[in-house]
Amino acid sequence: MRIEAEEQIERAYDTRLLRWVWRYVRPYRRLFWFSVVLMPLNMAFALAQPYIIKLTIDIFLAARRGAPPAWLKPAIVASHGHGMLVMGALYSVLLAGEFASFYGQYYLTMVVAQRSLADLRQALFEHIEQLPMAFFDRTPVGRLVSRMTTDIDAINEAFSAGSLTMFVDLLMLCGIVAIMFAFDAHLALWSLCAIPPLLVIINFFRVRSRTVYREIRERFAALNAYLSESLSGMSAIQLFTRERESFREFDELNKLSRDSQMMANVYEAGQFSSVEALSGFTVAIILWIGGGQVIRHLVGIGTLVAFIQYAQMFFTPLRDIASKYTTLQSALAAVERLEVLMETPVTIASPPVPRLVANPRGAIVFDRVSFEYRQGEPVLRDLSFSVAPGQKIAIVGPTGSGKSTIIKLLNRFYDVTSGRILVDGVEVRDWDLTELRRTIGLVQQDVFLFAGDILENVRLGRVELSEQTVREALTRAQAMRFVEPLPGGMHEEIHERGANLSAGQRQLLSFARALAYDPRVMVMDEATSSIDSETERLIQIAVDHLLAGRTALVIAHRLSTIEKSDRIMVLSNGVLRESGTHQELLQRPGLYRRLFELQYAPATGEAREAVD
Amino acid sequence: MRRLFIYIRRYWLRYAFGIFCTIATATLLTLIPRLSGAATNAVERGDYAHLVRLIQFMIVTALAMGVMRWFSRFVIFNCGRDIEYNLRNDLFAHLSILDQNFYQRIRTGDLMSRMINDLGAVRMMVAMGLLSFTNTPVTFFFALAFMTSLSPRLTLATMIPYGALFFEMRWLTHTLMQRSLGVQEGLAAIGSKVQESLSGIHVVKAYTVEAHEAARFRATNDEYNEQGLALARVRGAMMPIIKATVGTSIMIGLIYGGMLVRANLISIGDIVAFMLFLGQLAWPTVSMGYTLSIYQRGRAAMKRLDEIFDAVPPATVAGDEARLEIAGSVEWDHVSFSYDAHNDDGAAHVGNPNGLDTRNGFKPHGGDGIDQHDGAARTWRWALRDVSIEVPAGTTLAIVGRTGAGKSTLVKLLARLAEPTVGRVLLDGRDIRTLPLAALRKTIGMVPQDPTLFSDTIARNIAFGRVDTPLPEIAAAAHIAGLDGDIAVMPHGLETVVGERGMSLSGGQKQRVTIARLLAYDPAVVVLDDALSSVDTETERAVLGSLAESVKGRTTIVVAHRASTVRKAEQIVVLDDGRIAERGTHEELMAQRGIYAELFRRQLLEDELAGY
Ligand SMILES: Nc1ncnc2c1ncn2[C@@H]1O[C@H](COP(=O)(O)OP(=O)(O)OP(=O)(O)O)[C@@H](O)[C@H]1O
Ligand SMILES: Nc1ncnc2c1ncn2[C@@H]1O[C@H](COP(=O)(O)OP(=O)(O)OP(=O)(O)O)[C@@H](O)[C@H]1O
Ligand SMILES: [Mg+2]
Ligand SMILES: [Mg+2]
Repeated sequence: MRIEAEEQIERAYDTRLLRWVWRYVRPYRRLFWFSVVLMPLNMAFALAQPYIIKLTIDIFLAARRGAPPAWLKPAIVASHGHGMLVMGALYSVLLAGEFASFYGQYYLTMVVAQRSLADLRQALFEHIEQLPMAFFDRTPVGRLVSRMTTDIDAINEAFSAGSLTMFVDLLMLCGIVAIMFAFDAHLALWSLCAIPPLLVIINFFRVRSRTVYREIRERFAALNAYLSESLSGMSAIQLFTRERESFREFDELNKLSRDSQMMANVYEAGQFSSVEALSGFTVAIILWIGGGQVIRHLVGIGTLVAFIQYAQMFFTPLRDIASKYTTLQSALAAVERLEVLMETPVTIASPPVPRLVANPRGAIVFDRVSFEYRQGEPVLRDLSFSVAPGQKIAIVGPTGSGKSTIIKLLNRFYDVTSGRILVDGVEVRDWDLTELRRTIGLVQQDVFLFAGDILENVRLGRVELSEQTVREALTRAQAMRFVEPLPGGMHEEIHERGANLSAGQRQLLSFARALAYDPRVMVMDEATSSIDSETERLIQIAVDHLLAGRTALVIAHRLSTIEKSDRIMVLSNGVLRESGTHQELLQRPGLYRRLFELQYAPATGEAREAVD
Repeated sequence: MRRLFIYIRRYWLRYAFGIFCTIATATLLTLIPRLSGAATNAVERGDYAHLVRLIQFMIVTALAMGVMRWFSRFVIFNCGRDIEYNLRNDLFAHLSILDQNFYQRIRTGDLMSRMINDLGAVRMMVAMGLLSFTNTPVTFFFALAFMTSLSPRLTLATMIPYGALFFEMRWLTHTLMQRSLGVQEGLAAIGSKVQESLSGIHVVKAYTVEAHEAARFRATNDEYNEQGLALARVRGAMMPIIKATVGTSIMIGLIYGGMLVRANLISIGDIVAFMLFLGQLAWPTVSMGYTLSIYQRGRAAMKRLDEIFDAVPPATVAGDEARLEIAGSVEWDHVSFSYDAHNDDGAAHVGNPNGLDTRNGFKPHGGDGIDQHDGAARTWRWALRDVSIEVPAGTTLAIVGRTGAGKSTLVKLLARLAEPTVGRVLLDGRDIRTLPLAALRKTIGMVPQDPTLFSDTIARNIAFGRVDTPLPEIAAAAHIAGLDGDIAVMPHGLETVVGERGMSLSGGQKQRVTIARLLAYDPAVVVLDDALSSVDTETERAVLGSLAESVKGRTTIVVAHRASTVRKAEQIVVLDDGRIAERGTHEELMAQRGIYAELFRRQLLEDELAGY
């Protein structure tokens, strides 16, 4: 009773998932149905073949000849003694039909599969791109990669193996059984006696291999995740002579993966060979029982031969159903994961009717903003400040005080927990998201370069940026100094994550990216932390001019970077501690003055000397 | 390939057993048609007693064959798994000693695909390939021998379609393999595209280039789609071609065999045996072509793996791998370095690292793949030119210089992350190449410029270099790195998982975790490459203070852009475009009014203006 109930739940939930897949198949449903229609046709061609053999043997070869059926008689009579050739011709027609219908069916199915899965993959990619940063905080990229590759491929596999059309196999089985009964009920019953043990065996392996295949997937994924992380962090591993420890851990994962693969081999081989053995067993049974009947003249020998053929035909779909079921299960598991991913809500998106700001001027207001990445751990607390258009504001504070977080809220990487943020008087949540981010040019603390050339890395697909613009941006960012001498200049290839550049050079490129953007509001999150102060000064000179009249938000630890700002805000533990100009803040005893003294005070004497 | 035999030999006993079982299976398998034929004949003769004996024998044969087949499959397949496991381990071990030159040459994604796909292809070769390599000839031998003994003419006639099948299949399986390879590569391309786009998702979002990325993805996706269809076109033909071949053979067997029966040359039982044989021979025929492709593919894959195995790791000397007991003096002796020297295959013209000046005994060493032909493609760019620095034991060296000046390169040479193109690096007066690599790296602890964190807990990230670091020591290291406050507010303290690449930490937190890692490692020489660039001055001061305390008496090398970090060093070296431009103490350099004074002039000048 319990089992039945469970089955039902499983089935109900399977159809829901199938319906989800159907959404993507739907545009190609004509092809799909056409391919489905070809299947029974294919089956009919296949099933008719042993019948022809039976007729041939009974009519032409057996010791006790039978008479041809009525529909065949005219043809045989017309053949003038070459009746066997008629049978051969019939058989050829069936073969050709089987070939054509199978190929057509398979190819159409694959067209449907490839097209609909490509659509799904594209839709998924575009969906993931829209997901909020919080999603990426908790989801490793490797996992998303395997969703887009392994999981979608599992569905493809289900199409290709015909799992989604398993019912046709069932139909085929019914067809065979029906024909066998039509020939001889007694013999049919006997030839089916191998089925109960077969079902038991198949079920035995199905249950086990399902677990083991799940295990394989998990362990193999873990192994590869470990490998990938090790490869990209190899220099750290070597620097800290951790090779041996890493090897031990890798070996552990490798062993686990191997062990479950081996288990799967044992099951798979077991299933394969037991089905094979049972098929031999069935032939024996048919010969035994059927042979006895032939001897007692109850059936013709042709029927016996046809029975052997049908029994063999019977085993193929039965064995296939087992493996198709496994494929289907893994496809459904994949579908389930994909559905979850696809249904992950895009919590940060443009409102249905965004409020348009015709000419963004760059006024920013934080109004009692609080924020937490993880519930119960506030990172920003009740933060309020405002920036007038054209003002240059600096944010300083100890590490981890929430400076970068402010920026991530401003361009809506995250939504505030409470309070609101206004840009040009419009709450950021009411802005069109693209417009908002276009208004804000951001140099991020976390520099990321794509594999590709320098030009493309600055341009980032914004085709409206001419090569000249990019060149200017590079010059302003002082990046031309190192780009120009490169053999390829702006077309020099950059390796993965910019591995063939120095850290400062990577930062300069990321800076140039924002400059090329020419935004209303410029936000620089430690944009020059790895850059020497001389280069930084040159950048400032070049950029000052460009940024005249634009709002700028600068985060920096090197106070020389920020002291010219119109206002400096000192953040500590997510709370705004002080705010004012450099001079004002120095007058007051506080965090800023302490930071400043730490950086410069002991140098003052020498500085005086140097300047003199 | 020779390498592979070493692995195969390791399992020769299991292989021998597997092959024995395979041969036994094939032998038993061919018994079944013979017995069926004989049974049919017995039926025709009406000899029931003989029939029963044959049937009993047949049942036993079927069961024995099942068992044998089970063994043969999983024993051989598991040998394949074991070989794969060993190869994967050995590859990993080798990868973990290869240096940056190698990782610059081959991308991570490429390495991953070798470790997954190529390894899989090699496994296929030593498992499936070997199985069908033994199975096919044996099956053919027995089947043909018996068929010929029944009727050579009929054998010849029925084998004609199989001959055709063999040639079709050679072509087909080859194409199939080629296209599956294409599909695999397509899938890998999708994987790396997703990987890259999503690793840089913060840039994609900030610059609102989602659509551009989606378009780039679509191109990859479409290509994969086409590859999938191309594969389907061949794969779909496979099954029906086999079926049609078997069908045609059976038809010939029936018609021609029927004529022979009528001429009383053979019996109906012989025809039955023939039909069963024909069914059995289909797969071996196909797998001949298949085995050939598996072999070709496996060999190509092994070649790609050999490329990894053959990559030469940095030379190391055998010896005690424990931390060296040394005073800790460090010296760079006329060191020049060019990244091109390692990237080019010797096709470049060796430029002179000193410009025209070869005074300092600079002679390009032979044997470095240096090709002195004039008019060669391009000259090498030098990241370091004839640098000589001596750091007495226990003192501090600070390295400053503009972005891209070669600072990181210089310190990388010390840890042998790269080898000097010219010159040598000495530790306590001994060329570091004469020290065991592991010992050297245990002696020299380095915080690289890019913090590399692993998706693990903070504690395990700190204990990275010494896995058995006791918890109190980890906590102490975290304390010195100024992480106490940060860890206190984290949900699980030191046990908090930091996310991929330490994503959920702020920039400064990441840097300080790597500093704590260094402290837990407890090296004799400490190297900090711009390790506090994202840390505010107050924290920096605190960290440097307690760091100085805990590394007291050790040689320390710091690279930094901030005056506050470098000023106290006993020796400061200013690098400019790979050359040493100035050296001395802070006071001396300020007095020189050269690059150093210029670099820090503004920081100090603005001090002055601020009224100090
Ligand atoms: N994605 C995240 N998930 C969870 N916590 C985070 C995440 N990003 C940052 N935090 C936490 O929020 C706090 C503030 O981080 P933020 O990056 O804003 O600091 P910051 O002021 O920019 O520091 P730094 O100067 O080191 O860059 C830190 O304690 C950090 O650990
Ligand atoms: N892997 C590499 N392949 C080729 N060139 C490289 C590679 N790494 C660095 N370079 C080049 O070598 C030069 C020196 O780089 P290095 O990283 O030593 O500079 P740096 O002084 O540390 O600069 P920064 O202050 O920006 O960190 C740069 O011009 C850089 O572009
Ligand atoms: Mg930050
Ligand atoms: Mg550097």
